[in-house]
Amino acid sequence: MNAASGVTVHLLIAEPFQEGPAATSTSDALRRLGPAVQLELHHEVRVAAAALRGRHADLAVLDCRLGDDLWSLLQRAGEGATPAIVVGEAGDEAFALRAFRAGAAACVARGPALADELSIAAREQLQWIRRIKASVPPDGSKENVDNVSRYSRHVIENMNSAVLVIDRDAMVSYANPTAERVLGAGPGELTRRDIRDWFPGAAPGDVLPLQTLENGTCFRGVETVLTRADGTLIPTGISCAPLVDAKGIREGAVAIFQDLTEIKQLQRQVLQTEKMASIGQLAAGVAHEINNPMGFIHANLSQLTEYLDDFQKVWAHVEGLRNASGREVLDGQEVREAASALDATIQAVDANFLMRDFGTAIRESLEGSERIRAIVTDLRAFSHQDTAERALCDVNRALDSTAHIVWTMMKHSVVLTKQYAELAPVVCFPMQLKQVFMNLLVNAYQAIEERAALEELRGEIRLRTELQGEEVLITVSDNGAGMPKSTLDRIFDPFFTTKEVGVGTGLGLSTSFNLIRNHGGTLRVESEPGRGTSFEVRLPLGDADELL
Amino acid sequence: MSEPLPVVLLVDDEKHILSALSRSLRREGYEILTAGSADEALQLLSERQVDLIVSDQKMPGTHGIAFLTEVERGGSRVPRILLTGWPEEIPQPEIARAGITALLPKPWDDAELKSTLRSCLAR
Ligand SMILES: Nc1ncnc2c1ncn2[C@@H]1O[C@H](COP(=O)(O)OP(=O)(O)OP(=O)(O)O)[C@@H](O)[C@H]1O
Ligand SMILES: [Mg+2]
Repeated sequence: MNAASGVTVHLLIAEPFQEGPAATSTSDALRRLGPAVQLELHHEVRVAAAALRGRHADLAVLDCRLGDDLWSLLQRAGEGATPAIVVGEAGDEAFALRAFRAGAAACVARGPALADELSIAAREQLQWIRRIKASVPPDGSKENVDNVSRYSRHVIENMNSAVLVIDRDAMVSYANPTAERVLGAGPGELTRRDIRDWFPGAAPGDVLPLQTLENGTCFRGVETVLTRADGTLIPTGISCAPLVDAKGIREGAVAIFQDLTEIKQLQRQVLQTEKMASIGQLAAGVAHEINNPMGFIHANLSQLTEYLDDFQKVWAHVEGLRNASGREVLDGQEVREAASALDATIQAVDANFLMRDFGTAIRESLEGSERIRAIVTDLRAFSHQDTAERALCDVNRALDSTAHIVWTMMKHSVVLTKQYAELAPVVCFPMQLKQVFMNLLVNAYQAIEERAALEELRGEIRLRTELQGEEVLITVSDNGAGMPKSTLDRIFDPFFTTKEVGVGTGLGLSTSFNLIRNHGGTLRVESEPGRGTSFEVRLPLGDADELL
Repeated sequence: MSEPLPVVLLVDDEKHILSALSRSLRREGYEILTAGSADEALQLLSERQVDLIVSDQKMPGTHGIAFLTEVERGGSRVPRILLTGWPEEIPQPEIARAGITALLPKPWDDAELKSTLRSCLAR
């Protein structure tokens, strides 16, 4: 990396004084690192410790021949966040392990290749330290350099968050590999790029790192969209903090961001799954309500066909009697016989009963078909404004049609009371709103069933709407089982459910919460165990002009 | 006097279903009793001997399966038919536990209803 050259780094070595072959001496090995590495050699443990406390070294190399003093020096290095390489005897794995546990950045074995291995390990550490140093403007104070270099190389380079350091002119001075990946750039390609490149067309106020540069504002996890060079939009959660020197002068800014593309996709999938699940629930309820009337209408129709057969038999004898009685010269015998045959058939088929029951069967079937018609009307009202678009919506109507549909599956155990106020239309996604109402209603119904299993209960769900200033307030309350505080605290968590497997997935409320929040509204709850629960949705009316 | 007619108990919360079932079975030569709930049916069973039970599955309060399981637990050997819109959804072990002789779909076919009842009674 170009930007990394021309920077001096400071290396502290601690080894006991001894005369020996140069190849096994740590300091001799390190001399190969070149003039850009400033060496500071210590033989005195106390002096070395003081130097480490002073935190001016970028890297420490500690030799195992120091004995137990090595561990205290290693600890000191850790306290000062100075990375340390430890030199151990070849084959002493227990030592190496202990060194790593004690925080060593690397462990190198003494042996014929010590010089090479040590310089490789040191180079690796130094390369990173150089990059960090290079990312700080040359006039940056020592304090700052130290602050930045305190981050461990492994943390920054391997972390799953993207890190960008920008200078005073909003130019990138450092980017970690994740930043390169997220922004679709090759290694080193981001350096000296203008941060504004990823915010094309944005007002300066909307480019968060610029705000940090100019006003020193910190941001944490703000959702913002970056645009890659190839035009791909990347939703990210970004945090920014200014880089300030010891005198409090801003020298740049650090931006850490997370690619939210996958999370967004997952969120959409969850929304979709939730929608499918609620619609499945609804469909099952509706199917059952239609199935019963279909059952008896179907049976009645087959029965009525049989009745008609019987009536036809009777009718044949009526014809016979008409013929006999219509002759110019009446044959008394013929008429009598025809009449008694008619009588016999009437008796045989029980025509009087058939007459009465024919009427009953038709009346009952009509009632059944009326029920089916009502359900279809409800479904039609419910699917009104089934649009993924933002629209002006009559909240009373959305609530009422949803309640009716859900009610078809619970009318045996629940009465519904409604208190709707005159409302102004709300700018919203009508289908999402209905999805929320459906979740609240199904939950209320399930809570009532839960309580009804324990005690005699007349289930009741109350729906209320109100206009409060620029907000619409919708309340769905039930007299079901209610919730203890421990449940109440978690109901908006995804996948939190107290229901059996197959009954609840625990997505209803977390989805509802998000949908309402996306509408700029709030979802609140009050509950008393054994008494009931009340959910309150607040929605801003919104600006109808936005729809134009 | 001829032999007493076989007694069939029909159980469904929907009275129009009871009415339609009775209508279908009118010419089959049964004495028909009806109950609007599992509780009512159990009450009836404690008072009368029956030869066949036909029960709906989905009823408020006790469902068909639970009701028939209770009948089974009482040691009854009466053949029993479960009427349901979703026959596939009832697990086999529950069917066995309730001692169910046959399942009938809802809506039912008139001829199938009659033949199923006949074969259950012939057992
Ligand atoms: N009206 C209510 N009364 C009592 N408890 C409720 C009520 N609404 C929600 N809860 C509690 O909150 C939990 C979470 O509700 P949520 O709607 O998110 O999931 P669920 O109903 O369990 O499953 P799903 O809605 O995905 O089918 C429920 O399991 C239940 O314990
Ligand atoms: Mg729910």
